[in-house]
Amino acid sequence: MDETVAEYIRRTVLKIPRDEIKTMLQKWGFLSEAQLQTINFHQMKDNISQDVVQLCEENSASIKQAAVLDIIYNHSYPNKRIWSVYQMNKTEEETDFFDLTDFRKKFKRQLRSTLKNVTINFREYENNAVWIRIAWGTPYTKPNQYKTSYVVYHSQTPYAFISLSVLKSNLPLLCQALVVASNYQDIHEMELRSHSLNSLEDMVFKRYSQNFETYCPRPLQESTVAQETAGLRIVQEDINEKERILRVNREAFGDGPQPKLEFAEYKLETMFTSDPKLEVLDKKEPFRCMVRFHSPHLLESLKSLAPAGMADAPLSPLLTCIPHKARNYFKIREKKGLFPGSFVSP
Amino acid sequence: MEEGKAHPPEGVFAHLEMLEARAHEAAVKQAAAEQQKEQLARLEARVQELRQRRDELQAKVELQEQGQREQEGVVSDPAQHSAQTVLEWKIRKVKSTLQVFYLTGISGKLSKHGVCFCISTAYEGIYLDSYYLDLLTEPQVRIHRHSVPIFIPMEQIAKKYLQTDIRRFLSVLSDHLNAYVGRRYQADQLQEHFSDRLEGTMQRNSLCNLLVFNYNPSSKSETFPFNARLLYGDLCCSLPTEVVISCAPDAPAALAEMAAAHSDLFRRLALHKAFGSFGSAGEHVDGAR
Repeated sequence: MDETVAEYIRRTVLKIPRDEIKTMLQKWGFLSEAQLQTINFHQMKDNISQDVVQLCEENSASIKQAAVLDIIYNHSYPNKRIWSVYQMNKTEEETDFFDLTDFRKKFKRQLRSTLKNVTINFREYENNAVWIRIAWGTPYTKPNQYKTSYVVYHSQTPYAFISLSVLKSNLPLLCQALVVASNYQDIHEMELRSHSLNSLEDMVFKRYSQNFETYCPRPLQESTVAQETAGLRIVQEDINEKERILRVNREAFGDGPQPKLEFAEYKLETMFTSDPKLEVLDKKEPFRCMVRFHSPHLLESLKSLAPAGMADAPLSPLLTCIPHKARNYFKIREKKGLFPGSFVSP
Repeated sequence: MEEGKAHPPEGVFAHLEMLEARAHEAAVKQAAAEQQKEQLARLEARVQELRQRRDELQAKVELQEQGQREQEGVVSDPAQHSAQTVLEWKIRKVKSTLQVFYLTGISGKLSKHGVCFCISTAYEGIYLDSYYLDLLTEPQVRIHRHSVPIFIPMEQIAKKYLQTDIRRFLSVLSDHLNAYVGRRYQADQLQEHFSDRLEGTMQRNSLCNLLVFNYNPSSKSETFPFNARLLYGDLCCSLPTEVVISCAPDAPAALAEMAAAHSDLFRRLALHKAFGSFGSAGEHVDGAR
């Protein structure tokens, strides 16, 4: 077995939390149950990884199997990478019969035709998602297994989730291979980035809970918990206002859990409007400023602002439109009309 | 005198003093506790008093309001009772009508700026997912929000029919959605109930319009598994348009015949039903050998 492969497997095992190592090796399926029984999973991680490498030696692991282990690790811990969303377009309206073997062949062929030194691995998952791992080399050097990009593509959808984490110069090659393999015509980056891959998928595939007005008998979630504990002797004077805030908040955000985003960025390029007599600015240039919201869970915190009394309800549509428009980077410019600020798509 | 109270008597007095102090403390504490109890009892009595007064005043207010209502000529109690029952009956009737509309598959509700439609899908009498469409009607009909999966070609259907014929749009969309959940249901049922017949993983895609899998035609594990490739060309249909079943070139002729028979079966029957039916047929062929 190659030295580099052994070292790569050792480092990958070290990344896994100790309690998860056994399950992940089982998912990998490269080492037999009998072999796994011989490893003591309660010793130090260093020693566990040495044992694993030794067993892989016995089975003569190649870089392909090592790459699969890396994919399994990243699939279990996708939030360690930052993911961007790309959208593809095509004009023809024929039904696509997505054939996985076809896709893999086309992707490999297209990428290898421009850059020979790449390691490409695929793994399919239950939810029709294909995970693609690419290790990049240069025209003169072998692929560097520590410089990897990941692509997650759901069949027959126009969206791809890419975690590049390497030089941007490889991005056009990757995009072209993707477009050719999935039978689309072009691709562009959306203004949507996050660590939480599942939330990005939820937002573009509209899997998060939106509030639709229907007559359907759906179980309502009672929001009257606050009243129970107070008892009969306390009367809330502002109960109407509180209920209005909750209702408006519910209309804006829906009932279910929100997709998980860590930040939202608003770039402002608007003119300073003031009394012309004041003449604050000599030149008529737009103000440029950037506002960035950071949070471990941005949308949930926005949802709780109005009920907590920290903001007026309804919240600004600039904040509530984030899941619906599937973007968290905004540019606000002058609208040639009534309102001083509006959305401009890039 | 103090000298007279040498060591033992001094100890005794000190002890007595200590006991006295303790008794005093205890008495003080008891007095305080009793005082608190009394105060509590007084306050409770006051609370009761106030509550009673409040109830009396509330009753007076209600009586006055009722008196006012009677003055204004509102229907008196017995008639009010029956009007209430009529209203309840009407509400129940409306609710059941709405429930019926929901069960038919397409139901809608007027919203602030347009209409919100709910398409509920079903396959073989089993209700599956519901999908929602929020349409705006001003200035033209357009889709505001929806929960339809991205791989359903809704944009294309909307381009063709949304502006001209909403009914047709909803009907075509409903056909697509029902066929999709039907195909998905069949594939899921196959993986769930016939996993012992399948060899390896089944290849599928988001729309479930291409299925490729290897399976054993009979319950005993065969040395010649079949490879099936089902293509669903019509997205509004839950049966395949093209079925190709192949087996290894050195397989006996009887198996080749069976492959042709299975191909026909898959074209006519739902996938899991087809598998269910040739469970016994396969044994029959074995018996005949």
